[in-house]
Amino acid sequence: MQVKVVIGTLAFMLSMIIMGFATLREPARMERFTLAYEGRLIEQGAEVYKNNCASCHGVYGKAEACFDEATGEQIACAGIPLHTPELLCDGDSVPLRLRQRDWAGTKYGYVASVVAAGRTASGMPTWGEAFGGPLRDNQVENVTLFVLNWESEELCAGPPPELYAWPDDVEDHLAAFPGDVAQGEAVYLNPTYACTACHGQMDNPASAAIGPHLAQIGIIGAERVAGQTAEQYIYESILYPNAYIVPDCPSGPCASPSSMPGNFGERMTPEEMSDLVVYLASLGR
Amino acid sequence: MATFFEQVREMGLKQATVVKADEIVERVTVGMNINDIRAMLRGDEPRRPNPRLRPHADGFWFHIRPSFYHTEVTKIYPTFRLGWLSTFMFVWETITGIFLMIFYTPRPGTAFADMWNIMSNVPLGQLVRDMHRLGAEVMVLVVALHMLRTFVTGSYKKPRQFTWLTGMVLLCLTLVLSFSGYLLPWDQLAYWAVTVAVSAAEAAPPAEIVGYNLNLLVRGAPSFGAGGLLRWYLLHVLVLPLLLAIFFFVHYYKVVLYGISLPPGREEIGEDTAKRVPRDERTYFMPDIITSELMWAALATLALIAGSLWFYAAPLENHADPLVTPLHVVAPWYLSWSQGWLKLASKEFIAFVFIPILAVAFFLMPYIEVGKSRRYADRRVGLSVSMLFIAFMLVSNWMGSPEYLVQSTPEIEVAQKLIPQEGHSHLLQTPYEALVPGRYVPLAHNQEVPGNKELTHALHYFYDAMRLYSCRTAENGSGPWETCRERVRDDGSIQYRNSHTSDALPNPQAWLLIEQFQYNMVKLTLCFDVTDPRDPNVKLVDNDCSAFKYRHANANYEEY
Repeated sequence: MQVKVVIGTLAFMLSMIIMGFATLREPARMERFTLAYEGRLIEQGAEVYKNNCASCHGVYGKAEACFDEATGEQIACAGIPLHTPELLCDGDSVPLRLRQRDWAGTKYGYVASVVAAGRTASGMPTWGEAFGGPLRDNQVENVTLFVLNWESEELCAGPPPELYAWPDDVEDHLAAFPGDVAQGEAVYLNPTYACTACHGQMDNPASAAIGPHLAQIGIIGAERVAGQTAEQYIYESILYPNAYIVPDCPSGPCASPSSMPGNFGERMTPEEMSDLVVYLASLGR
Repeated sequence: MATFFEQVREMGLKQATVVKADEIVERVTVGMNINDIRAMLRGDEPRRPNPRLRPHADGFWFHIRPSFYHTEVTKIYPTFRLGWLSTFMFVWETITGIFLMIFYTPRPGTAFADMWNIMSNVPLGQLVRDMHRLGAEVMVLVVALHMLRTFVTGSYKKPRQFTWLTGMVLLCLTLVLSFSGYLLPWDQLAYWAVTVAVSAAEAAPPAEIVGYNLNLLVRGAPSFGAGGLLRWYLLHVLVLPLLLAIFFFVHYYKVVLYGISLPPGREEIGEDTAKRVPRDERTYFMPDIITSELMWAALATLALIAGSLWFYAAPLENHADPLVTPLHVVAPWYLSWSQGWLKLASKEFIAFVFIPILAVAFFLMPYIEVGKSRRYADRRVGLSVSMLFIAFMLVSNWMGSPEYLVQSTPEIEVAQKLIPQEGHSHLLQTPYEALVPGRYVPLAHNQEVPGNKELTHALHYFYDAMRLYSCRTAENGSGPWETCRERVRDDGSIQYRNSHTSDALPNPQAWLLIEQFQYNMVKLTLCFDVTDPRDPNVKLVDNDCSAFKYRHANANYEEY
């Protein structure tokens, strides 16, 4: 019987030693497993991306190599680049695109929410199950992690992307970026900027519900502020809506501060601004 | 009785403390004071009245345990202590299960993440999870062996028929417990294995009424989701353990009531002397059996911990995807036999005729097989039938595996070996640093990729996989494969066969593409191209690169 007690005690001691040995290895192992989990989610996300996103955002996320799912032919990319410093590199603190969209949360939250809820205005479909889309929550998480994984030292090595410093004088800007009237009309109609939402369609004055109708702005603009040409007036109105509040709006006195969004300067490219300015300045002339 | 302080005044503090301690020990052990315990461990004869019987007579914890056993049944033979081990495994599963319950919520949205949390964020979480899963598989095995032993020694005969019946109930409960736990990780393995097995419920005739509603009852919805997971979780942690405990106590009470049956050769035929134990053939519970049990508990604990740590890893595949069925879905090994049977006959027949008949036969066997003798020589027919049945079950188990009667096209089979949708492969386990971007062909064992041993190893495996599914035609053949055996099918096409498979690729080209996809992730693509040997303008497989997998640097397939 003593033998049994000795064997049992030894076995118990050995169990404790083995558990101790396992416990000592745990922190390193847990670290490896945490990384493995995220790595595998990214692998799954890559498959979700390939099956759902690559046909608009490009195979490598640069809005370059887009292929039609059915025929395999190359098509124009309808989506915006994701594999860019604007979205992924923190620079000083917040990626440029998050600043442009006035997003106060995390990068992960930004990408996940756009994937899940979609953006009707720009044609991004709703993907998340919670909002009626086809992807489960874990698939939305996976593809978000995949997109964020495009951030690398190499991508963010260069200087952080900066907002364009708009010159005070529109002529300086137009000298650097000459505008095109036809493309300017496309910018006006672009749902991303939604000018028509407030200022309406050019051929229908009654459609301007909130902001003044702009069909004569090429003439009127020159008369609003002393010393400003129509181009300068239009340029400043877009960049700094509160610089001059027009007295009359379709629904009564114009609101002050202005109802017009103040962040077009962060959202529009220099080319789009030039196109839009020359287009609007041509109206009524 | 004098109070403690009066005793102190009477005999001094030290003596009074010893007396008090002695009293407490005697109360806690229900009858044995310190001297009795020391005498017991020394091996002395007990005093009269025997204090070692009092825990059994008056105590709660030992009241169901017998105070003595027949010496003949206390050794390894005839019981192999399998009944004891089954009980130990149940306690083991309960304790490890409670640990896991703290970190797990039965919701499809969080269950899978909880599993990874247990394995990567909870100290010793992976070990406990592995102990629980290993314990479950060991328990199923031990319980089945216990049933086998009881059958072989004829210990189901009168008066122990009802003990056998409750034991069969316990076996079924153990299987359902294991199966319900299988679903909880909510990965592809869990979801599809349980879906396939439970799909038999839909076939309950008449399918529109009974089958439909039975399916809803079992899955909580037409297919598994939040309701089903919760249902099976509750079964697993609450209902089934409760039922198991109830039936266990009935079972064990009966075991103690009739006593453990003696080895068949020791008794007269038809006699049952298990409860009439002569004094000189008694082994007392205190101290012999209790020290034995404690020793075996320590040894079993050591074996399970060491086994879980070094020889076992509970798998976790990708998140459950109701829309994607992985290739080669298999039932857990202890149910593989049913999957084998399902390949031979219809769902309705197997699930609602064959298995029920078998179950009833097992349950009622002691009431049918009423031969008086337990001796092996007198039970040759029964023992032979049982051995044949075991062989039949083993063959059925093999039939349940994907090797039998389940085969896709050869390219898919090769791809499954190298880049499986779920699970591991030699290629995936190649360290990330060895996956250098490039185009690689299968390598014979005397070839290598210079400076890259690990990738060479994976390409050798690619070569071996291709050999199983490739052949070279006798005319204009190419490739290091065995010669094709050709057979013309009814529709005029040629079937190419080799020694492994009846559907092989003739003169195939195959290659592995490794591309850098993100800075820390590569994409592995397997491509196949097969030209029709009879017509060089026709392709049997046209640059098929549909098998691919992304491989992240941190994915750690080498370790897990």
